[in-house]
Amino acid sequence: MRRVGWAVLVLVLLLLAPLLVVITAPLHANTSEWSFVLHELLPSHLRETGLLLLIAVVLAVVFGTGAAWLVSAFRFPGREFFRWALVLPLALPTYISAITFASLLGPTGSIRLALGIPFDIVNLPGLGLVFALVLFPYVYLPARAAFSTGMASHLDAARMLGGGAIRRFFRVAAPLARPAIAGGAFLVAMETLNDYGAVKYFGVHTLTAGIFRAWGGLYDVGSALRLSGLLLALVLLLVWSEGRLRKRALHSTTDRPTERIALTGWKRAAASAGCGALLIAGFLLPIGSIIMDAFRTADLSHLRTVLPSLRNTLFIGTIAATLTLFVAIVLAYGERHDRSRSRMFQWAGLGYAVPGAVIALGVMALAGWIGERTGIILIGGIALLAYAFCVRFLALAGQPLRAGLAQQQRSLDESARMLGASPLRTFLKINLPLLRPALIAAALLVLMEVVKELPLTMILRPFDLDTLSTRVFDLARIEQWPDAALPALLIVLCGLVPVLLLDRLLDRARS
Amino acid sequence: MMKKWWWLGPLVALGCQAPGTQETGSENTVNVYTHRHYDTDKQLFAAFEQKTGITVKVLDGTDDELFVRLEREGVNSPADVIITADAGKLGMAAQKGYLKPVRDSLLEANVPAHLRDPQGHWFGFTMRARVVAYDKNKVNPEEILTYSDLCKPRFKGQILVRPSEHVYNQSLVAAMIAHWGADSARKWCEGIVANLAREPKGSDTDQLLAIGEGLGSVAIVNSYYIGKLMKSEDPARQKAKNSIAVALPTLDGIPYYNLGDLSATPHLDGIGTHVNISGGGVTAHAKHEKNAIELLRFLSSDASQAAFADGNMEYPVKPGIPASAVLQGFGKLVPDTLDLSLLGRYNAEAVKVLTAAGWR
Repeated sequence: MRRVGWAVLVLVLLLLAPLLVVITAPLHANTSEWSFVLHELLPSHLRETGLLLLIAVVLAVVFGTGAAWLVSAFRFPGREFFRWALVLPLALPTYISAITFASLLGPTGSIRLALGIPFDIVNLPGLGLVFALVLFPYVYLPARAAFSTGMASHLDAARMLGGGAIRRFFRVAAPLARPAIAGGAFLVAMETLNDYGAVKYFGVHTLTAGIFRAWGGLYDVGSALRLSGLLLALVLLLVWSEGRLRKRALHSTTDRPTERIALTGWKRAAASAGCGALLIAGFLLPIGSIIMDAFRTADLSHLRTVLPSLRNTLFIGTIAATLTLFVAIVLAYGERHDRSRSRMFQWAGLGYAVPGAVIALGVMALAGWIGERTGIILIGGIALLAYAFCVRFLALAGQPLRAGLAQQQRSLDESARMLGASPLRTFLKINLPLLRPALIAAALLVLMEVVKELPLTMILRPFDLDTLSTRVFDLARIEQWPDAALPALLIVLCGLVPVLLLDRLLDRARS
Repeated sequence: MMKKWWWLGPLVALGCQAPGTQETGSENTVNVYTHRHYDTDKQLFAAFEQKTGITVKVLDGTDDELFVRLEREGVNSPADVIITADAGKLGMAAQKGYLKPVRDSLLEANVPAHLRDPQGHWFGFTMRARVVAYDKNKVNPEEILTYSDLCKPRFKGQILVRPSEHVYNQSLVAAMIAHWGADSARKWCEGIVANLAREPKGSDTDQLLAIGEGLGSVAIVNSYYIGKLMKSEDPARQKAKNSIAVALPTLDGIPYYNLGDLSATPHLDGIGTHVNISGGGVTAHAKHEKNAIELLRFLSSDASQAAFADGNMEYPVKPGIPASAVLQGFGKLVPDTLDLSLLGRYNAEAVKVLTAAGWR
């Protein structure tokens, strides 16, 4: 067991190394402009980060929890369809939907002009709304799982005591689902903190935008690193608070699935309309616009330049997903056999909240250091890119694995151990096979994120290797947005496959 | 558990055989790190390959990212040439020792002295001017002769511009600091902020489209984006295309409008319009130096210069090569001949000035 402990520790350190480099760099890095950054940039950037987080997370929780409650507790026209379709917005990268929304509802947006809407969406509250519309499935998925199983008897009891639907939701269902909702809200917050493309386009001053302002504008990498350290601290705070919310969770007993009540009258129509509006705004509207642009600009030569990018994207994604999954399995094994290591997973997953560009800075610093001492050139290699993705997306792979393991009764392990199996054998023969849906879910989640990911890929990729996201970014950067629609569409299609499979798997895992 | 380890084999193998590390050994290549990502560049690289038989390998990214990568790679870096779209960044690259000085009579003949580094660390090969597009139904051309004219009360609620985040705005203000000093540059920024039609947002092209929709009558944008818009067949862009005319303002005259003391205005003459360059240099640890210089020469040749002008709507640097007809329609460009490395030196100052003036 001790060896496992060491392996886990080494892995965690490996995963944290780039972040440690970033966080310790301020101690020795020179900053020429720190006092300016501290007094002039930081207050406004902190304020806008807080505001954006607040709007995005609150709206995402409202959308995600509301929709999940509707499809789990009621019957209404289209429920079966909405149940899976509301996951679809996850396939859209935030930067792509932000640009698309701006092209529709921005100052010169086609829909805004056609309908004469007096306000536009390109501002901080607008961006919060865009983030919430794309990211709410992170809340919707776990909330739906929580509402559908494990609370039927509680809900029945509340009903018999005369609690109406709204009271049942606020007094029983929402508190029981709180850990699930908090986990989803946490993911929304991380994605919001990490975004750079959308905040830059919308001109919102988040901490991440501040990092780039210090780095690219003030030529002060030291200040950029200090801001990154601050961002990391903020992330730690979020991790801590999520952990606390989880800890106070009421452990749901195994229970039959929640019984769905048929809605009647206007409530029926309202439920369908609400889910429909969410689906249209979060997915159908942006994807429709992208498809139209793609067809408008597509020709054979364009397609020919895009197809190799598609191949590269899938190639990199597969390698990164494999490595990440492997690391996640080792950590999950460590955690299974020593509960005191549960913190390890959270530490190891910290990279998920750190902007890709910051991770890339840390990874490159490490690789450069190794290169100087050993002469081994890692920068520009696929291995380094895969490692960086592993640092960034481990938390994503960890989520379903840990949830899956938590569902497995410990008595299973104990029986196997009593029959003489070693802990490792128990894990490989008992736990892992039972975990298959979660493993597939984890791999798909990572694959999907790698396909969407931009800054890390951009900085660390090998020579002459374009991915779909770098194509989109290149074209968006030179303000040729309609031409970027085709690769953007392919990113969404790549993302759709895992999203839909994921939904299926989560269902099957429950039944 | 052993079964699981097989993943590591291919991963290690891939890591060692990464394209970037493998192909540096080949003699007949030139490896380019570029901030530019235009089809014109791709076509020019292809033409270069055809002409010389030298393979061009490209990594594109933003200049800041490419510099960090270059620094971390150190002597092992595969890069031979760096190309950026900002003189300030080139100056910084030279200052940090990323570039090696090149003496080449052909390059020196093709690129005018003020558009290249005196020591030969970098050479410009295209120019973009930061100009003013205006609604020709609402503004007369003689109302915008200098950048400072935009601070006049006449343009209150009329000015469209992208956020100060962008290097094009930072370079413009850096040039003002170089000519006028930081205080006056700040006055100018405050004058612009006071006249804004809306919070700065979106891209240069978005500002042009906003003129088309009557959201403002004056936009500060790069010449190159106007050129692209004027060539666009996109129906959504026709309204902007039809209402826009272009002024090439100069840096003459310092904005004292806000002080109300016009008599004290020191007048500067003949500074010209702010320009920035795209350019490149040979890296300090280039493994294919000869090929790298060959590529830079090629980019400064008549054919390449004409391709930049017509294909990408940029001003060519080589004397005698005409700009595209669309750009010539803007009027005759008199570029500011400021030592462009100063743009890099004053960039941080420019960011501070922009922030202090409240330019988002």
